[in-house]
Amino acid sequence: MPEFDLKDKAAIAGAGNSPYGRRLGRSPIDLAAEAIANALDDAGLRRDELDGMIVSFGSPLGADVDTLAPLLGLKLRAYSQTWAHGRFTASCTQWAAMMVNTGFANAVACLGSWSLSHIQRPKFGGSGDREGAREAGGGHGEDPVFGMTSPGAGAALVARRYFERYGADSRQLAAVPVAFRRHASLNPAAIMNRPITVEDHQSSRFVCEPLRLLDYCLVNDGAACVIVTTAQRARDLRKPPVYISGMQPLPGGADEFIWAYPGFGVAQQQVFEYDAGLQPVYRMAGVAPGDIDALFTYDAFSILPWIALERFGFCKPGEGAAFTQGGRIELGGELPMNTNGGLLSEGHILGWGHQVEIVRQLRGECGPRQIAGAEVIQWANCYGDSLIYHK
Amino acid sequence: MAQYLKPLPTITPLNQPYWDALKRHELRMQQCQQCAKVWYPPSPLCPRCWSRKFDWTPLSGHGRVSSWVVFHQSYFKGFEGEIPYNVAEVELAEGPRLMTNLVAVANGDIRAGMPVEIVYDDVTEELTLARFRPAKA
Repeated sequence: MPEFDLKDKAAIAGAGNSPYGRRLGRSPIDLAAEAIANALDDAGLRRDELDGMIVSFGSPLGADVDTLAPLLGLKLRAYSQTWAHGRFTASCTQWAAMMVNTGFANAVACLGSWSLSHIQRPKFGGSGDREGAREAGGGHGEDPVFGMTSPGAGAALVARRYFERYGADSRQLAAVPVAFRRHASLNPAAIMNRPITVEDHQSSRFVCEPLRLLDYCLVNDGAACVIVTTAQRARDLRKPPVYISGMQPLPGGADEFIWAYPGFGVAQQQVFEYDAGLQPVYRMAGVAPGDIDALFTYDAFSILPWIALERFGFCKPGEGAAFTQGGRIELGGELPMNTNGGLLSEGHILGWGHQVEIVRQLRGECGPRQIAGAEVIQWANCYGDSLIYHK
Repeated sequence: MAQYLKPLPTITPLNQPYWDALKRHELRMQQCQQCAKVWYPPSPLCPRCWSRKFDWTPLSGHGRVSSWVVFHQSYFKGFEGEIPYNVAEVELAEGPRLMTNLVAVANGDIRAGMPVEIVYDDVTEELTLARFRPAKA
């Protein structure tokens, strides 16, 4: 497979972020500019050395690449942008790895920014959300005619099916937001710092049953950025490189639903017993799930980490519920997950907050939440894409 | 008829026959003339064999609940008075799944695998929706 040629050929040279918060009163362009400047400074790169940029999400809530480039006085040789969904973090980084290794660009800023805490409720879903008006329906199962709206409702549909198929319940789901809040309590940048308990989770109101308020991520303002360059160039820069050793692209088609792996049986997915096997990202990186020191995943809703664990073979279908109990996914556990606090507690920075945290973990910069001896860290998602990083 | 405040479907040349059939109290979906697959949402061609030859075939209107949710938060003015309201995915006997609301059943009595049958709900003079109610197995 051609992606094997890129093993350890690209690296993250710098990582930076803006403040994360609610009602920061700052525009996405302003937040993005701060994250980019911080990432360049972290890498020890000058502004005129940045010649590529890939943005995920963009307008109307976030800053677009074609606005950022002129406003920041950049001269880009290559840029690209995904549409306004949160699932493209790995895609952007993977394309950047290809760009720097084909000579399209030398240093590529990959980022996302947005500012939405000033928007009236509901921020997602409802009549202002055009997702449900897409021809053939929304990307998370939206069908407003029946009142079906918002990405969280699609996750609730997955959660209900999971509970019914595997006998799990809401109480077990609590382990995920409880773990990530504990991590956030050790992260000064996180928006939510007060630890929560299973009882807090169980007494929080239903938004879209079976999901409760504490199963939902934050909606906030913020930006985060990583700088991708070749491994060779990264070795000459300010900080030690964080190598990209494995990449797995985002799969699509009739067997896929954004919040569930093939065989799960939502939307038009067939029903069968999913078998993760050894996913391609591990073959490329030359490691197995057991070699991963920490796992980071897109946790817009608490059910999604269960799906990601099963999709990548950390456990079998239906075992994510039990896997996440007893502190196993917490700092000090067998597989710490989302040590930044994730979208659930650090803040929703479109997955870029997680990438920044991965870089800092592999450099040993995480202070009280540092994973001792972290060498190999994975970003792997319920929708099937992945990156494996190592120091 | 009182003013209808709920969201209306996005009707396109592709899905127009689906909505026209519902108005006549028929559930019809595309079926491939070549490989017999029945599919939904409407597509310009058979997702299995790419044949563009298909019929709008009448379906049984029977299926089973594969998953469901209950909305406790208000997103649409038109649904405000019905909170908490359910939204279910029904797997039709012919294969495709349809998003719908279950009627004539309390939210707490909904079960996975529950057999259901179609109810043609004439919500306006122009629009009929496919809702479902419990049926005998």
